[in-house]
Order: sequence, then C-alpha cells, then structure tokens
Amino acid sequence: MSDKVLLSVEHVKTYFDVTKGPFSRKQIVKAVDDVSFTIKEGETYGLVGESGCGKSTLGRTLVQIYRATEGRICYKGRDISTLTQNDRKEFTREVQMIFQDPYASLNPRMTVGEIIKEPMEIHKILSTSREREERAAELLKTVGLKPDHIRRYPHEFSGGQRQRISIARTLALNPKFIICDEPISALDVSIQAQIINLLKEIQENMGISYLFVAHDLSMVNYISHRIGVMYLGHLVEEGDADEVYENPIHPYTKALLSAVPIPDPDKAREKKRIQLKGELPTPLNPPSGCPFKGRCPIATEACEETRPELKDYKGHKAACFRIQT
Amino acid sequence: MMTYTEQIEDSMFDKLEESEKDTEFIAMESKTYLKDAWDCFKKNRLALAGLIFLLFMVVLAVMVPVLSPYTYDSQNLDVRNALPSMAHPLGTDKLGRDILVRLMFGARISLMVGFVAAFLNLIIGVVYGGVSGFMGGKTDMVMMRIIDCIYSIPSMLYVILIMMVFGSNIGSVLLGICVSSWIGMARQVRTQVQTLKQQEFALAAYVIGAGKLRILFKHLIINCMGPIIVSTTLMVPEAIFTESFLAFIGIGISLPQASWGTLASEARSVIQSYPLQIVWPVLAICLTVLSLNFIGDGLGEALDPKNR
Ligand SMILES: Nc1ncnc2c1ncn2[C@@H]1O[C@H](COP(=O)(O)OP(=O)(O)O)[C@@H](O)[C@H]1O
Ligand SMILES: [Mg+2]
Repeated sequence: MSDKVLLSVEHVKTYFDVTKGPFSRKQIVKAVDDVSFTIKEGETYGLVGESGCGKSTLGRTLVQIYRATEGRICYKGRDISTLTQNDRKEFTREVQMIFQDPYASLNPRMTVGEIIKEPMEIHKILSTSREREERAAELLKTVGLKPDHIRRYPHEFSGGQRQRISIARTLALNPKFIICDEPISALDVSIQAQIINLLKEIQENMGISYLFVAHDLSMVNYISHRIGVMYLGHLVEEGDADEVYENPIHPYTKALLSAVPIPDPDKAREKKRIQLKGELPTPLNPPSGCPFKGRCPIATEACEETRPELKDYKGHKAACFRIQT
Repeated sequence: MMTYTEQIEDSMFDKLEESEKDTEFIAMESKTYLKDAWDCFKKNRLALAGLIFLLFMVVLAVMVPVLSPYTYDSQNLDVRNALPSMAHPLGTDKLGRDILVRLMFGARISLMVGFVAAFLNLIIGVVYGGVSGFMGGKTDMVMMRIIDCIYSIPSMLYVILIMMVFGSNIGSVLLGICVSSWIGMARQVRTQVQTLKQQEFALAAYVIGAGKLRILFKHLIINCMGPIIVSTTLMVPEAIFTESFLAFIGIGISLPQASWGTLASEARSVIQSYPLQIVWPVLAICLTVLSLNFIGDGLGEALDPKNR
C-alpha cells in the first residue's frame, strides 16, 4: 500500500427525483448525502451500513452509473465528470465493479468465454480472438475455475462460481480499482470465505485498491485497511479497520458491532447487545439534525437541531456531538 | 459438556488433492439455448404438426409452376365449375381454371404478405421500442406520443389511403398493413427493455465501457428474443387474415392474380350452386392461421426460460 491517493470523494450527494407525475409534490430521495473520503493505492476501504443506507448508490455513483447531484469525485486527481472521451475510456478500464447478485450480473445469453472476452474486445486489449480466448482461459484459472468451463453458460454454475466469473471479467481489464458491492452477501457462508480470500490474493498479486461494501462488520474488518460506516446517506464514522472494530466511538457503530456474533461462547456471554429501537428512517424526507437521533440511546437536544460534522479524533473520525475527548 | 467416546484425530482424515480444493461441481449438461428450445418444441405435438403443415404449404407454393400443367390464369371454358376429378383434384372455378393451382398461387401471395409484414414489424418494432425504452426520459416520451398518434387512426383508413396514392398492388397492401401493426411489438419491447436495463448485467456492461448500441442489442434485446419471436410468429397469421379480408371485400391486388381472400370472394358469387368452391380457400386460410398459432404457442413455451 502506498501513500498516493487514488480516489477522492468530496462532499458527494446523489439524490433521486421520485416525484410521481407532473402535478404532485416534489419528492427527493437523498440516497447519498454529503459523503467525503479518500482511497489510497493498494488500499481496501470497507463501507458498512444497514441495507438502504446508500452504499450501492455511492458505489454506482463512483462508476458514473448515477451522476452525482453535487460534489466532486476525483480519480488520480482529475474530476471524473469532466473527462474527455479518451480519458473516460481509460477510466472505465481502470475502475471496475463487482455486483451483489451473481444471478443477475452475468448475461444469461452469453457463454463464460464471451463474458470474459467482451471487456477485452471493447478496450482492444490483445489483437486476435485467439489470444483473447487464451487470456480468458488463464483468467478462469486465476479465479479458481477450470479453463474448459469457457464454453458453458452462466446458468450452469453455482452462485460462488458465478461470482468468480464476475471477478474474472473485471480482471480482464487489469483494473487499478474495483468496487465490490456486497459481493458475498448472496452466497453461502462456506463460499463467502473463499471469495474473500480470492479477492485478498488478487490484491496482493496485482496491487488493486478495493472499495468493499458490506453490511457485516466482521467480514469487512478481515479484508479492509480502513472502514467507513454509513447511516442514512451520511458517513458517520471512519478510521483504521482495527481501530473502528475494537473501539467504535459512534453510537451507531457500537450498536452494529454488538450485533456481530462472536464464535467464543464465553466471550459472547459477557457481551452486552445494544438494541436499536425504531426502524431505519427513509432517505425520503430525512429528519433534520443528526440522522441517527431517533434511534440513539444518548441523544440530547443538541442533536435535534444541527447535523454533526465528521470530526477527526487522531485519525479516527466520527460525526457525533456526544463524543468527549 | 459433551464428550466423544472415541478420540478423533487429524490423521483419520484424508487430505484433498490440491486440484479438488474449492471446486463445486456442475451437474447440468451443457446445452445451448437453441438446442434446448428445439427439444422442448418437438415435444409439443400440435406445434410440430403446425410446422410440418406450414413447410408443406411453402414447398407447394414455391414448386407449383413446376408441378402443374396449368397456370393460375389458364382458362378452359369446357370444364367450368367442375367437381373434383383426376384432372382437377379440387375442381375448377366458373372460368374453368384449376382451383388447386389457383390456391397454390394464392398461397404465394398470402404467405408472402404474412411473412414480409411480420418481418417488417419485427425490425421496426424492435428497433423503435428498444431505442425508446433504452433512452428513457424525453426521447421516450416523444417517441411514445408519436406511436399514440399513429395508433389513433384506424388501420383500414391507412390501407385505403395508401391504395389511392400508390394504386392497387401488393406493395400498397403490405404498406397499409404495416403502418400501424408494428406498434404492439414496439410497446412490448420497450417494456422489456425498461426492466432489463436496470438489471446488474446491463450495468456491468456499462461499467466495462460498452457503448449504447452494444448494450441495447447484445445485452438487452437478445434477452427478450423469446417473446419477440413468439409475437412475430403470431403476426404472420394476423397479416394473412387482414390481407384476405381486404381481398374479400375487394381491396387489394388486381385480377387475375389471386390471394386466398380473392378466391373466397370469387367463390361467393357461385355459392348457391357450387358451395364446395368456397370451402377450399377458407380451409387454406383456417389451417394456415391455425398452424401458425400452434407454432407460436409452441415457441412461447420452448423459449420461456422458466420451463427449463
Ligand atoms: N434508482 C433509484 N431511484 C430511486 N431511489 C433509489 C434508486 N436507487 C436507490 N434508491 C433509494 O436510495 C436508497 C439507498 O439505496 P441503496 O444505495 O441501494 O442502499 P444499500 O445499497 O445501502 O442497501 C434506498 O432508499 C433506495 O430506495
Ligand atoms: Mg446495496
């Protein structure tokens, strides 16, 4: 891991206009609301939060599936919304994404070989179809599948194998940065570890950076160097992985961590679970003030009015008024 | 605390070979989509019978000038309104023309109208609907309003207007039938594309840098090919029917050429004395339309991934 910043996200907001029909009241979903962070070369940044808090939206904004409503996303120091045609091509080659649902992320009408060769065809990597075919077979080996699977269709594979095919597709472009949007949450527990280890191995061999999205803190802690915790479109805590995992300072992270099952029964008995009261509020008309106030056990009047900013406590950041230093 | 009666040690387990590690097995036999669909289609007896009948019709229609001693307009006034015989298997009409030969020449026109109309509808409908659904937003809105306008005029009016401008020929009939009949296809494709484009494989295609055309055709439309093929098949009988109806009421291609509709219309004038003559063209229309419908149903079942 080097100290060079690869990606910086500055006050990014992604809103969706979900107004129904021309005559109804305007309705805006604030899926991502003012998020800032940076990712260094070779680093894995873990992003956690309950489902619906805007993790996928953030990931998709980074690859421009959605346009940021406000704010800047800089890749290698350049704003990605102002790239020229050529630079954009370069950007799509270097920045890739692995999706959550392995059953939906592969085109059912294409063979595995066609799926893996397609990015190479688009970016004119290698010159002949033969060479691409060989490279595809090689990539299948890299991700732990057999090269002779190349002529099969996705429906013949299990979830874990499909996720491996997805990984091979992204690797075909030799990317520098991969966004993994909950790549393991649809898989069996036994397969999850295999995929995580595969991703780790790939990172060690190729020096790729990851944005690793998940809703499970223990997996994220295992793979990430740093962790960011999202709540209702906001980043509420960020720091080195072990630091956040072992001493969370934001009440929401504390609650999330208390829900992580511990394999040692003696330790588990000692642990106190913090129950979160209330439902996750929707990002459609979010509350003013601190987004977490409605479910927070230590909320005061101050939390009602203004939203706490992300503050730096010796490298460990959190957005909460109640933190004492 | 539970204890085991026997101690379990590591040495009791065999280690997996390196090559067997991490592998899950593939149980399903590898078959391509088309082979799979054909196997399923074959099981449907009605559809298969329909296909055979249709192929038989097509072969006869193509081969009829070679096979028959008569042409569609060779009159023989000595054998007017003859009943079926060895020389004329289906009899002759009021001008002594062989009905079977006229029926087969009619099949050329009727089938051609059916297939060409279906093909044009396929191309126009898929491209229009695909682009509209894929682009979304304002483009989609404008394109759909244009469709609404075209659709708001009865299709018979188009046919009559086009005939007035371009004359009574097969081209005008085709054009008239096609002006508005692709709209159903366009709407269907648009809806499908709208849902498919949200799917992760379409997003994945975008992320690897695929252009709009590639995403639309290689990823989206290919995934709604099943329903598209079925609707195209069902459009053939629809066009045949429309053409026959137009010919029956006297709009369409000019004599002595004849489609099945014209034949039925001619036979109507002698229906009191020779009712058998109207049976043949009507039977031809019915059986062909029925066959195509069976084929459409069979394809629908065979191409539906849920039946796999
Ligand atoms: N295309 C969209 N249009 C409107 N609302 C959306 C869209 N995508 C996501 N949302 C909304 O944004 C919020 C965040 O969704 P998402 O980013 O998928 O959350 P997560 O990945 O953390 O589960 C949800 O409330 C969701 O309903
Ligand atoms: Mg998600």
